Amino acid sequence: MPREIVTVQLGQCGNQMGSVYWQRLCAEHGINREGILEEWATEGGDRKDVFFYQADDEHYIPRAILVDLEPRVINNILTSPFANLYNPENIFVSKDGGGAGNNWAQGYAAGERIYEEVMEMIDREAEGSDSLEGFMLAHSIAGGTGSGLGSFILERLNDKFPKKLIQTYSVFPNAQEGDVVVQPYNSMLTLKRLINHADSVVVLDNGALARISADRLHVQTPTFDQTNQLASTVMAASTQTLRYPGYMNNDLVGIIASLIPTPRCHFLMTSYTPFTSDQIDKAKPIRRTTVLDVMRRLLQPKNRMVSTTPSKTACYISILNIIQGDVDPTDVHQSLLRIRERQLANFIPWGPASIQVALTRKSPYITTNHRVSGLMLANHTSVASVKASLTLTPHPFLHTDDNGYWQLFKRMLDQFDRLRKRNAFLEQYKKEKMFANGLEEFDDARATAEELLKEYKACESPDYISYGAQEGGDAT
Amino acid sequence: MPDLSASLDSLVSALVPQARTDNALNAELLAHCQDILNSHIGQNNDADIGHLADLVKRHLLQTSPTGVTALKFTNLLSRLLDQPVLSKKHASILFLHSLASAPRHPTVTPTFLPSLAPPPPRPASTVPSAADPPPAHQPYGKSKAEKLREYRQKSGQPHLPEYLLLRDTLYLLQGISGKYIRLSVSNDDPEQNKLVFVEDSKHIIAGPTKVLIHRLSEVGHLYTRVEAFVRDREAKPGVGMIEQSLCHHLQAQLTEYYRLVAVLESQMSGPPHSGGHKDGNGGEGNVRGGEETGLTLKRLDVWINEWRLRMRMMSVCVEGARDAQGGALVNLIHGYTDNGDPFVRKFTDQLLEEVSKPFFATLHKWLFSGELYDPYSEFFVSLDPELAHVQYVHPSSLAGGIGHLSADGGFAGLGADNDDISGDREGGLRLWEAKYQFQKEMLPMFVGEAFGRKIFSTGKSLNFIRYSCHDSDWVATREKMSNTGGSLKYSDISGLERSIDTAYQTASQRLFEVFIEKFKLLDHLRALKHYLMLGHGDFADQLMETLGPSLSRPANTLYRHNLTATLETAIRSSNAQNDPPDVLRRLDARMLEYSHGEIGWDVFTLEYKVDAPIDTVLDPESMIKYQKLFNHLWKLRRVEGALSAGWMKVAGGSRTFLRLPDLESDWHQIRIVMAEMVHFIRQMQAYCQLEVIECSWKILIDFLDKKEGDLDAMIGAHSSYLDRMVKKVLLLSPKAGREENLLVQVRDLFSTILQFRDAMDNFYNYCLSESARRDQGRDVDRGVFTGLDQNTDNQQLRDALPRIRRMIKEYGSSFSERAQVIVHGLQSHTDLDCRFLGIRLSFSDFYKSKKEQQAQQQRS
Repeated sequence: MPREIVTVQLGQCGNQMGSVYWQRLCAEHGINREGILEEWATEGGDRKDVFFYQADDEHYIPRAILVDLEPRVINNILTSPFANLYNPENIFVSKDGGGAGNNWAQGYAAGERIYEEVMEMIDREAEGSDSLEGFMLAHSIAGGTGSGLGSFILERLNDKFPKKLIQTYSVFPNAQEGDVVVQPYNSMLTLKRLINHADSVVVLDNGALARISADRLHVQTPTFDQTNQLASTVMAASTQTLRYPGYMNNDLVGIIASLIPTPRCHFLMTSYTPFTSDQIDKAKPIRRTTVLDVMRRLLQPKNRMVSTTPSKTACYISILNIIQGDVDPTDVHQSLLRIRERQLANFIPWGPASIQVALTRKSPYITTNHRVSGLMLANHTSVASVKASLTLTPHPFLHTDDNGYWQLFKRMLDQFDRLRKRNAFLEQYKKEKMFANGLEEFDDARATAEELLKEYKACESPDYISYGAQEGGDAT
Repeated sequence: MPDLSASLDSLVSALVPQARTDNALNAELLAHCQDILNSHIGQNNDADIGHLADLVKRHLLQTSPTGVTALKFTNLLSRLLDQPVLSKKHASILFLHSLASAPRHPTVTPTFLPSLAPPPPRPASTVPSAADPPPAHQPYGKSKAEKLREYRQKSGQPHLPEYLLLRDTLYLLQGISGKYIRLSVSNDDPEQNKLVFVEDSKHIIAGPTKVLIHRLSEVGHLYTRVEAFVRDREAKPGVGMIEQSLCHHLQAQLTEYYRLVAVLESQMSGPPHSGGHKDGNGGEGNVRGGEETGLTLKRLDVWINEWRLRMRMMSVCVEGARDAQGGALVNLIHGYTDNGDPFVRKFTDQLLEEVSKPFFATLHKWLFSGELYDPYSEFFVSLDPELAHVQYVHPSSLAGGIGHLSADGGFAGLGADNDDISGDREGGLRLWEAKYQFQKEMLPMFVGEAFGRKIFSTGKSLNFIRYSCHDSDWVATREKMSNTGGSLKYSDISGLERSIDTAYQTASQRLFEVFIEKFKLLDHLRALKHYLMLGHGDFADQLMETLGPSLSRPANTLYRHNLTATLETAIRSSNAQNDPPDVLRRLDARMLEYSHGEIGWDVFTLEYKVDAPIDTVLDPESMIKYQKLFNHLWKLRRVEGALSAGWMKVAGGSRTFLRLPDLESDWHQIRIVMAEMVHFIRQMQAYCQLEVIECSWKILIDFLDKKEGDLDAMIGAHSSYLDRMVKKVLLLSPKAGREENLLVQVRDLFSTILQFRDAMDNFYNYCLSESARRDQGRDVDRGVFTGLDQNTDNQQLRDALPRIRRMIKEYGSSFSERAQVIVHGLQSHTDLDCRFLGIRLSFSDFYKSKKEQQAQQQRS
């Protein structure tokens, strides 16, 4: 009875990320392109059944559902060498193929239309599992399909499977590369669903991914493939403990429960080190990889996959380091002491917090030139201050400040407000049923986001203990 | 020579002050000096050598008219002249010549100490030269002693003739009483032998002679002792081999001794030819007679001298052999090898070489084949007679193989013969520990204790491999061992040490091989780590999930077959299924002894069954410790599971109960407390896994990888591994009587968490009902009929709320307090790792600041 996890890949970004992710899992578990276990993959110790199921003919098939409103990316996947890996019944491409036009409302509306078909796939996967633990969603929040359709699916999943976990890997758009004018609208509307309907959101900031690519790989304009590999590395590493069970962290709830004390503050940021050539093409080789190095680097802002403001009050609510490889347990012990001594991390004042370390096995089938690698999953109050990702550069309406980091949600709100005040670009939205009668949904989304921002801010103070009390008091 | 005269002049004036003024004296002295210088005094020249050679030749021709010697001399001389080594050749020859031509003095008697070991072949040859002196002394007239002797003779009490005394002394040497000298054997103490001199009226024995005889008789006395010992041992049954060997050596020595006595006797031809002219000048004649036969008491003393030492050594050995035996005896002898006296050293070396032969034979058997062949318990390894015949047999050979057992139905099969195994189980470790014992006092000193221990453990290992491990590869082992063994003997101690070292290494290597490769010790250790210490996390989760509900029931409603079936399921559905079947069949789920009122959680345990010879390392006592660990970790896991489930409810609740905003703050409180609990439990788990289990495991694996040491070391490494874990996981404190203080607190904390969870469930249910009620209310407001009026229920519900809130608050704050106390206790723990748990729990100084806050509050 594995605790299965069904992955739902939505939109262009989600499917691209997903396909790299599945390639990686296949490599780690010794599964070939056809889904058949390689003969040499006998070392075991891994659990393939969390993410794969075995068809009658010994094929390992990803528990993945691929959904897109336009056929391009999925067609690419279907013509790639990994085409036969997926269950063809789990692939949905909208028949009209028109996409969502980068419009959240369009994507959301499409959701209503294709609901039956997609839900049937999801149901089938859920029923095919012995004890489904939850869903993993991969999508972007800027465009139309990932954000709009994603929001819709989120709502429905939550409704239909109230007792299952929903974790999303959400790509937050990059300011510099933004090519969608209405990103602020799309993001805000999606954010509301992420806040209300997901249990945990792993924030992948496209800006930070690009920055890391540039820093680490010396590429000015990283290709999609490169950023996708970064993202998939994070996805793979964050599920490592589920796939290589150890003493702890063998299920998603265990991981999330310790990271997310209060349900709304569930936006997790990640760091990963070291990126080397075997994960990403043309990476610089990193020689020294001791546990302490890894754990220290994970705490450095420049390795975070979220661009954040180095604010003085910002603090960690929780940290989980997933360390892979050949690790001497005493090293971990020493590293923890060092980090504490040097106060490399600030923690919340209202409750106990510390760095959890999960040691996990590395796939025996992948050779790497570094001994230790690590992923940090952290709940940090500065997630609310992701670099102004929603700026559009150049954008006539927006004041941009490339040098500064803005509070994420604050800035998202600002940008949203600027557009919203002018009622710019709303025509496309009004076409859809949801907004036909008014734009309350925009305001509601904004309110939800602002509330989250407030809560994250409150987390930095010891009074957070009574945070709800005041609110509750007000309500009654 | 003007310069010569000038320098002479200055010399003279310097030495003789008067000459400076008196010219005549000066001139006279100068002339005298010049005379001296012109003379040939003290000068050599070659012409002199020729002259000297002539002189010598002439002399030689006089002494031996054949001329051969002269010719020889010429040869020698010419060779000498060629030699550059001697500078004063003339002087040398002159010296030799004057030596030769000097009047001949009687030759000095050659060394008085004959080389005794083999009796001198021609004792007579020395006699003539020894006989020479008396004539030389004769011209001096009668000495005072002679006068005394004459006086004695006249007074009718002559000395007893020495030849008679000699005869008696020779008897004495063999422990037999003579005519004039007797051994008195006192009845009360046979050791207190006394010499009794029988002096008749005609003869007396001189005092000094008596003393001399006394000295000689010591040898005889010692001889009797040694001889008695040897005879005694020969007659006695059950004499140790080392003693036998000692006897043999002593016997050989005694034979030598007899030979000496025989030779001496042959020399003492007694009075026959001197006896004739006994009268007249009897004393003189006697002396002469003795001198002619070459044996006097004094000479006898010299001859015997070496034997005296030897006899003393032998007698000491004999004395020692009375109380010591075997190795201790060897030790005793070995004590004399460090003697400064080369004679003693050599003698004891020889003796040891002989005596230690049986020891080395036993050693060889023990060291290279692990068998103790020691019929007389002389070796430094002894066998516990009770365990002597307990041969440990591998169960597979008993029950027809492992296959048979598992065919029997796996666990059930094992469960059935559980009793037999546990009966046998006593054996494993005990057999190893008690079957053979190391006897330190029996260990020969020349081996050294370190090596002794090595030998002991080598043999033990081999014995164990051979008999207990049912090692079919014994032949291979033996072959390996035989390569290492050379011949062992006393004289080659360094070789012995080398052999011991290699044997030890080979044996321990083999033991490790057998344990790790054949009996898969590592697999079992890993299994214990994975199952009893929950290392197989997915397995543990699975077991928890399927078993959890039934464990909440009273213990007496649980059935073993249900447990085993659940276990089976958990194995099948987790990665555990990849483990070797031999490991899985040993795993069992059962209940501990339970008393009334206990529920499943209290009594459930996993068990891992081991049999011989693995149970030597994993003895029953260790298994109890493993179970203790399991018990604690399992509880920890249970609490973690409860919290995870609680988290799911809270998380879900946040979405479901949006309609109850007035209760939101309660939920928030619950979440904050839960977060603290989750943190506590997870840090505790991480500590157990990382600092304790993994770190200990690493130490153990490092040891096993080295493959050094014997089974004792292996047992030691395992038990320290286990003890370390027990101590740290259970947070045991070294303070007597308060060892489990912290553990008890932690357990209380666990139950507080579970109580909190129950309270939270109540609250959750309340929220569900309340939410339903409000929905209904809304429906009613809208005029929709939804059901019967449930106001009475609602009233109850509303009454319940304060109680639920109170419970939650109570348990929540109780938890915080307890956590605070535990963290505080950990921070002052003596164990460094336990203290680190304190740091882990208060990583962000949360508990410290809380404490400070409390302190501040108290102050204000």
